[in-house]
Amino acid sequence: MNDLTVVGIAQLAVSRPPSRLACLGLGSCVAVILYDPVLKLGGIVHILLPKAPNHHDLDAKYADTGTKKLVEEMIKHGATKARVFARLVGGAEMFTAVNLAISNIGRENILEARKALHDSSIRIMAEETAGKKGRSVYFDLETGKVLVQTAFGSERVI
Amino acid sequence: MSILTKDEDLKVLGIISEFANIGAGSAATALSHLLDVDLMNDVTTCEILPLAKVADWLGGGNQIVAGTYTYLCGELKSGILVVFPQDSAVSLLGHLTKADISLSKLTELQKSALREVGNICLCWYLIAVSKMVDIDMIPAPPDATVDYLGAVLNVPLATLGAKVDTVIAVHTSFKALDRQFDGYFLMLPEASTLNIILERMGEHCR
Repeated sequence: MNDLTVVGIAQLAVSRPPSRLACLGLGSCVAVILYDPVLKLGGIVHILLPKAPNHHDLDAKYADTGTKKLVEEMIKHGATKARVFARLVGGAEMFTAVNLAISNIGRENILEARKALHDSSIRIMAEETAGKKGRSVYFDLETGKVLVQTAFGSERVI
Repeated sequence: MSILTKDEDLKVLGIISEFANIGAGSAATALSHLLDVDLMNDVTTCEILPLAKVADWLGGGNQIVAGTYTYLCGELKSGILVVFPQDSAVSLLGHLTKADISLSKLTELQKSALREVGNICLCWYLIAVSKMVDIDMIPAPPDATVDYLGAVLNVPLATLGAKVDTVIAVHTSFKALDRQFDGYFLMLPEASTLNIILERMGEHCR
């Protein structure tokens, strides 16, 4: 189980087997996970915020620009859009009491990511989103399976 | 961060560290009285980090921690957290509630105790620094959660991340002298707040 690449906040990665991609500790962040099962080409973008302002440096920080950039990267690496499908993980509501400045940012992230995927005509096959628990994601590019863990042991493969 | 030129980085980080040190000292004293243990603060470290690296800097996003978070929403804008690693959170809650603690199944009372401990620490932190720079600080009601560190950091980082791609993280760890108990305070000030602190601290030093 080597070659684990951790994708941090506002980072984007596209890779092939035998490597694996991971996002550790997703709270209100959302991981958009794309996979082309024929090429076994997969990508993750770890987004922090829903909508990009006009002037920004990091495309991968925002749901709208990040998702678009990931789709572009996948196609650049040879993926065919019709085969690529998406999975979404994250978007939890971590601190309910301290949401003065930002209302439920997790939900906004999910909605914006869904919209961006819809605009790119990419199907969403599975979601493990919302709720109040953080999640860690491990993406095995060989099998295309995504393992979602929460703190204290619960695991789900999507 | 635009306000910092390379040469000034170290000096600025030094001033911010000193600022946080005083807050953390006060908070550790409060915590020490509350729990009846002798706590010692480590040296405050202060780093300019890209958003992606903050969790790694604190030891990795996958560790399970108990975090209490509040946000200053007055003239000074900053996220402040107090974070206990899993074992310390268990021993802290066990000590306060005199019950066996399972972090995955906290009762309302235990959650409330955790929130209150965080509240007390953060308020003492703020009282000390607020006196020093003579600015009133208005914290939002704090909230506590037990989860992955990465997930705990998401909300503070999202708040800052709306404006900047790199943050200043100010970290003071504390540990008990006589038993296994540790944790840390983390301050994540906004750039505008940093300017105000630097200005006031400059006057203070003169």
